[in-house]
Amino acid sequence: MTSVPTLRALVSRGLLAVAAMLAVLPVLFLVSLSLRGTDDVQNGGWLPERLLWANWPAAFETVPLARMLANSWLVAVGATLLTAVIAVPTAYVTARAGRRGKRLYSVLLAAYCAPPVVAVLPLYFLLKSVDLTNSTIGLALVNGLANVPVAVWLLDGFVRRVPVEVEEAAWVDGLSVASGLRRIVFPLITPGLVAASLVCFFLAYNEFLFAVSFSQSAASQTLTVGLSLFQGDRTVQFGQQAAASLVAIVPVYVLAVLAQRSLVAGLSQGAVK
Amino acid sequence: MTSATAAPGRAAQRGTGPPDEQDHRPDPARPRRAAGRVPLWLAAPAIVSLLVTAAYPAVAGIALAFTDSSLARPLREFAGFDNFVAAAESVAFGGSLLRSALFAVLATALSVTAGVAAALALHARGGRFGLLGAVLLLPMVTPPVSVGVAWKLLLAPVGGAFTGLWDALGISGFNPLGSGPGAFSTLVLIHAWQWTPLVTLLVFAALLGVPAELREAAALDGAGWWQTLRSVVAPVVAPTVVAAAMLELVLAFKVFDLVAVVTAGGPGVSTILASFEVFRTAFRGSFEVGTAAAETLVLGLLVGLVLAAVGLLARRVPGSDE
Repeated sequence: MTSVPTLRALVSRGLLAVAAMLAVLPVLFLVSLSLRGTDDVQNGGWLPERLLWANWPAAFETVPLARMLANSWLVAVGATLLTAVIAVPTAYVTARAGRRGKRLYSVLLAAYCAPPVVAVLPLYFLLKSVDLTNSTIGLALVNGLANVPVAVWLLDGFVRRVPVEVEEAAWVDGLSVASGLRRIVFPLITPGLVAASLVCFFLAYNEFLFAVSFSQSAASQTLTVGLSLFQGDRTVQFGQQAAASLVAIVPVYVLAVLAQRSLVAGLSQGAVK
Repeated sequence: MTSATAAPGRAAQRGTGPPDEQDHRPDPARPRRAAGRVPLWLAAPAIVSLLVTAAYPAVAGIALAFTDSSLARPLREFAGFDNFVAAAESVAFGGSLLRSALFAVLATALSVTAGVAAALALHARGGRFGLLGAVLLLPMVTPPVSVGVAWKLLLAPVGGAFTGLWDALGISGFNPLGSGPGAFSTLVLIHAWQWTPLVTLLVFAALLGVPAELREAAALDGAGWWQTLRSVVAPVVAPTVVAAAMLELVLAFKVFDLVAVVTAGGPGVSTILASFEVFRTAFRGSFEVGTAAAETLVLGLLVGLVLAAVGLLARRVPGSDE
C-alpha cells in the first residue's frame, strides 16, 4: 500500500463504513424506540422528539423480565460449565489420539450439523421422564451437551499447538497422561478455553428452540422465550418491546466488547485450520 | 465441514499461531507414541453427550415416526407409514423443505460474498482486526429473537425506520413482510446480516496466512490487484472459504427463531421453513407427534444429503483434500 490513498483503498474504506453502520443500525433503532412514547413512535423517524424513560420500568412490569434474565444467565452459565468440563478432555483426545481422535472429531461435527429441531421431540420425552421439563436445570443440561461439538471444534486446534515434546518429557518423569493434560496442556490452552466458553455462553444464552419447547412455565422461562411472548401480545407498545429486547442484548454486547480480543483470537486461531 | 476444517496439515501451519513442529518432523514414531498413550476414557463424557443428543434422538425419532403417539403418551401403537403419509399430505411440509433448501442456498451465497468482501477490505487496511472488526462481529452475538424484534420494528409500516424513505420513493406504507416473496427475502437478508460476520472473521484470519513474500513477488512481476487476488490469495484462503460456506449452510438449515418472531410462517405458508414446520406440527394446534417425527426424519435425511453432496464438491477445491 502506498501512503496516498488509492481509489481501491477509498472504496474498501467506504465498504467498511457501510458494513459497520449496517451492523449496529437495527440495535441503535431499538435504543431510539425504547426512549419514545407511542405518538413519537408513530410519527416515525430515527430520533426521539422527547426522551421518555417510562418504557424501561414498564417493560419489567409487563413481563417478569428480571426473572427471565436470571433464568437465562442460570441456563447459560450452567450449560457453559458443563460444555467446558466435557470439551477439554475430549479435545485432548481428538487432537492427540491419532486416527481414533480424528474419527471422534468427525462424528462430533457431523452430529452438530443436524438441525436441532430433529432432537426436540425425543429430548422432550427424555426430560419429561426425569421431571426436568419446565426447569432451568434441564435446559442447562440440554444446551450444555448440545454445544460440546462447538467447543471441541474450537479447542482441538489449541491442543494441537501445544508441543507434544513437553508432555513426553513429563511422562518420562513419571507424570500420567491425565495429569499431563491437567498440569501442562490445560494452562497452555486457557486462551482457547476462554474463547470457546464465551462462544458457548452466547449460544446457550441466545438459544430459543429448546427453551420454548421444554420450558414454557413462567418460573423457568428464559429471556428469549419472554421476548417472543411480548410479540404475541398486540397491546404491547413498540417502546416496551424495544426496551425488553435491549435487556437481552446488553449483557452479550458488554461481554463481547470486553472479551473482544480473546474472542477474535480464539475463533480465528481455533477454527482456521 | 469435516473434510475442510479437519485438515490439520498445511493450512494450520499458515495460521497465526506458533508453528506446530510435530507435523513437520519426518519421524512417524513420535505421533504414534503419543497417540498410543492417550487414554480414551477421557472422551467418555463426550460419548455420553453424543448418545443423549444424537444417537438417542435418532432411534427415538424413528420409533416415534412409525408409531402413534401423543405428547402425553408416546409410542401407543405401531402405525406403519401412516405418519409419513400424513406428512406428505400436510399443507406446508413439502413446501417447507424446498423453502429451507432455497433459504440455505441464498443465505449462504449472500453471507459468503459479503463476508469475503468485508474480510478483504478489513485486511487491506492493515493486519489488525481491531475495534472496527469487533463492531462488525456484533450481529453474530445478538440473540436471534432480539434480532427478529429489531428488524420487525425497523421495517414496520407504521413507526418503522424507513417510512420516510418509502414516502420519498412514492411507495408510502410499503411493507416488505406483507407479501410472500417479500417476507421470504427479508428473512434471508436478516439471517445473512446475522451470520456474515462469521465468514468475515474466518476469512480475515486466513488472509493473515498469505505469505508476504508471495505478494511481493507478485507485485514485482507486475501483477495487478485482481491477478494477485486470483493467483496468490485465492489458493491460500479457498479452503477456509469452503469451510465457512459449509458452516453457513448448516446454520441456515437450523433457522427457527427468526421465522417464529418475524413472520410466524406467514403470510400464508410462504415463510414456513422446515424447522418451524416440525415445531408447529409437534407443539402447536393438534400436537401430531408422529407426523412431526416423520417430518424430522425426512428433514434430517435432506440436510445430510445436501451437506454430503456439498462436502464432495468441496473436496475438489485445492487445499481441502481430506
